Amino acid sequence: MYRESSYGSDFFVPIQYDEKKCIGCNRCVDICQVDVLLPSEKKGESPIVAFPGECWYCGSCVVACTSDAIRLVHPLMNQVRWVEKDELTGSKKQ
Amino acid sequence: MKKNEWPYELKYGEKKEYSCDVLILGGGIAGCMAALGAREKGLRVILVEKGAVAASGAGGAGCDHWESAATNPCSKVTPEELVDMMLRDNKGFNNGISHYIECREGYDRLLDIEKMGGKIRDTEDEFKGADFRDEDSKLMFAYDYKNKFTIRIWGTTFKKAMAKKLKRVGVTVVERVMVTSLLTDKGEIGGKVVGATGIHTRTGEFMVFKAKASVMAMSRPARIWLFNPAMVGLSEFRPTQCIGSGHAMGWRAGAAFNMMEKSVRAEFSAAGKSYPPYGAGNNHNTWYPASIIDANGKTVPYTDRDGRILTEFKERCLPADEQKFFMKGGGIDGGIYEIEGPETISVEGNPEYKLPLYADLSDLPEQERNVIWGMMVGEEGKTKVPILKNYTEAGFDPKKHVLQCYGSGWKSATFLPDERQLFGLPGGFMNDWHLRSNLEGLYVAGDALFASDCYGHAAATGHYAGRHAADYVKEAYAESENDKSETGKNRNNKSENGKNENGKNENGKNEYTGGGNTSSGNTDGGNTSGEISEEQVKAEWARISKPVMKSEKEDSFPTGYRWQEVNMAIAKTMQHYCGEIRTEDMLNTGLAQLERIEEEMAKKSIADNPHELTRLLEVMDILTVSKLIIQASKARKCSVTPLCFKRGDETEKPDNAQSLCKDEVQDFLVIKNTGAGIETSHVPLDYYGDLSLNYEKYNAEYLEKEAVYHV
Repeated sequence: MYRESSYGSDFFVPIQYDEKKCIGCNRCVDICQVDVLLPSEKKGESPIVAFPGECWYCGSCVVACTSDAIRLVHPLMNQVRWVEKDELTGSKKQ
Repeated sequence: MKKNEWPYELKYGEKKEYSCDVLILGGGIAGCMAALGAREKGLRVILVEKGAVAASGAGGAGCDHWESAATNPCSKVTPEELVDMMLRDNKGFNNGISHYIECREGYDRLLDIEKMGGKIRDTEDEFKGADFRDEDSKLMFAYDYKNKFTIRIWGTTFKKAMAKKLKRVGVTVVERVMVTSLLTDKGEIGGKVVGATGIHTRTGEFMVFKAKASVMAMSRPARIWLFNPAMVGLSEFRPTQCIGSGHAMGWRAGAAFNMMEKSVRAEFSAAGKSYPPYGAGNNHNTWYPASIIDANGKTVPYTDRDGRILTEFKERCLPADEQKFFMKGGGIDGGIYEIEGPETISVEGNPEYKLPLYADLSDLPEQERNVIWGMMVGEEGKTKVPILKNYTEAGFDPKKHVLQCYGSGWKSATFLPDERQLFGLPGGFMNDWHLRSNLEGLYVAGDALFASDCYGHAAATGHYAGRHAADYVKEAYAESENDKSETGKNRNNKSENGKNENGKNENGKNEYTGGGNTSSGNTDGGNTSGEISEEQVKAEWARISKPVMKSEKEDSFPTGYRWQEVNMAIAKTMQHYCGEIRTEDMLNTGLAQLERIEEEMAKKSIADNPHELTRLLEVMDILTVSKLIIQASKARKCSVTPLCFKRGDETEKPDNAQSLCKDEVQDFLVIKNTGAGIETSHVPLDYYGDLSLNYEKYNAEYLEKEAVYHV
C-alpha cells in the first residue's frame, strides 16, 4: 500500500512510499540533492515528502532504495502517450 | 510547516570555521574534478556542496554521452579541428580556452573516472559487433560513427565513484551547505578572494571557510524569466537547486562576467511546460538517431546537410559526402554547414504528413534500439526511473510501441519571445588561460564559466582549474614566505588599472590577463595571504539570517514574502522589462523595479526553517543575477545575432565606421561591479591567442607528467 507521507501539496506529490517495504533507513533522504525529503519523526517509518514541488524527477531516491519501496511518478500533465505502431499503419487486426 | 516539526537540530547563530589551501565551491562534476586536481598537488582541499556529492549537480543523477573526446584513441578529429568548429559555429562568441581544454583533456578525465570506478566502456560485451562500438577498446560512440569523438557513457556510475574517490584521497567534503558569499581581502570589492561563507541547509549553522585559493564550480543561473511555484522542480532542465548563486556572489565580490546579455527563447523544461526530457518522442541526443513517423505510420525521412534523402539507416551516423565530420545528429540550434549532421525533414505545414509524430525504435537495428531504450535512457540524468522503469512497467515495448512527439526537435513545448532562458552557451565568469577570474585567488570551472556546457567540459575545466589554483597557492605562498617584495611582479598584475581596452598583453598577443582590478591594489605590496574581514563575515550573517531570525522572534505565524512569491515577481519583471527586444528606458525601469523588490525582500521576507531559508537565499541570488543581466544588456548598445541579443533602440554610433550597429560589433563586452559603479571593457573574441601554443605554455608540467594525448 502506497502512502503519500507528505506535509501536503496543493499540486502533486511525486514520491510515494510502500509502507510495507520501507524500512525507514533514510538512504533516500541522504541522496536527494534537493532535500525534498525529511526523515520521519518515528524511527523506522518512511520519510516525509516535505517539499514535493521541488522534486526534479531524477530518481536518485528510487535507485538508492534497497527495499524497492519508492514510486516516483511525473504529474498527470506529463504522462505521455504511446501507441502500437500497427494501429497507425492499420495493419493491426481489430 | 511549523518550526517545532523540524526534524534537525537548529543551530542558528552558531558558527563553524574551516581553513584550507584550496576551497572548492560546488560539488558537481566540475567541483569534484577540481578537488581532485588540487589534491593531486598535495594541498589541503575542502569541497562545499549544497546537496550530497554522490548525486548532486547537473550531471549528478546520470549522463548518457560525453562530448568532444577528441583525444580518445579512436577519434579522427583533433582538438584544434573541433574547437575551430565550435568557435565558428557561434561566430566566435564562445569560450575558446575552456572548450580547448575540454577537447584536449576531456578524455584524460574520462580515464580518471574509469579508474575511480565509473563505467566508460562495454566491458560485458553487451553490444559486441555494433557499428557504434570499437572492438579493441570497447568504447561506444554516438552520432558520427566514422569520426568517433562522442562517447556513450554509463553516467549513473560517475558521481558515486567521484564521491568515494574524494574520501579516499583525503578531500574534506562539507555537504548540505549552501555557499552564500565570497570573502575578499579586507572585505573590499575586487579584492583577492580569501574564502567564503555558507549556511547549513538543515541546521542553519553558519560556516566560514578560509582559503588561499578558491575554485568557483557552481551552476549557471536559472529561473530568471520563467518560474512556476507549483512545480519548481520542473521549472528548468537542470536541478532545482542549481540556481546560479556563484554568479551572484561573484558579481557582489567584483568578478568580471562575459556574455551575460545573451539569452535564448526558452527551449526546455521551463516552468513545467515541457514534457519529461527524453521521455517524449524525439530524435535528439539520447534518442539519436531514432526514426520519426507520422500518425499514419509513414516515415519522416532523414536528410544530410545537402538535403539528400538518406535511405540506409547507417547513413544517419556518417558524415555527408565531402564532409570531414559532423558535430551532432539532429542539429538542435541549426549548426553551420560544415558540421551540420543528419536530421529529419521539417513536416510543419506539409499536408503529406499527419500529426502527431511519433518516435519509432521498432524499425532500428536491434543493437541501435537497445542502446537507446536501455543503455542511454537508463543512464541519462532524469530518465532511468521515471522513463525507462516506469514506462517499461506500464507496458511500453520499443519493438511494438511508438512514443508521441510534442514538438519539433528535442523541444516539447513552445514559448513566447519574452520567455527567455539561459541555455546554449550562456554567459558567466570571464577567464584567462589559468581559468582564473579577474579576482586573485578565484578560479572558475564548469557551468560557472561563460559559454559552458556538457559533462566533459565540466570535468575537464574542473580538473584544470583545481590544479592551476593549486599551482598558484604553491607559487604565491612560497614567494610570500621567501621574498614578499617579489609578489608584485607575479602574473596577476599584468593588466593596467583595471582596463583592458584592447585586450592585448605586453607581448602584443590577444590574451586576456584578468581585465580588471587584480591584486596590486589589494595585496598591499606583497601581503599574499590576505585577510578575512570580520566585518564582512558579520554583515553576511546579518543578511542571510534576517528572514529566519525574524520568524524565530515572533510567536504568531509571521507574515511576509516567501521565496516563491519573490521568484514569481522577478520572473514577471524580467519578462516585461528585459525580454526579447531590449531598450535603455525599459532596462532602467526594470532595474528600478528589481531594486524595489530587493528592498521589499530585505525588509519583509521570511522562512520557517533552514530549507526554506536556502530557497529564499537562492531567490535573492536570482535577483542579483537578474540585475547583472540588465547591466550587461544596458552596456551592449547594439544587437548581436550570435548572442540572440536584440536592442530596440540602436542609437549609439561607434567611432569605427566598420562596427556600426547594423554590421554588428564583434567583441566581448566584459562587465564587473566595482562597488562605485559598473565597469565595462571590450575584449576581442580571439583574446585567447593561439590555442595549442598557449595551452602548452600554461600546462608544461601537466603535459610532461599526466597528459595521455600529445600532438
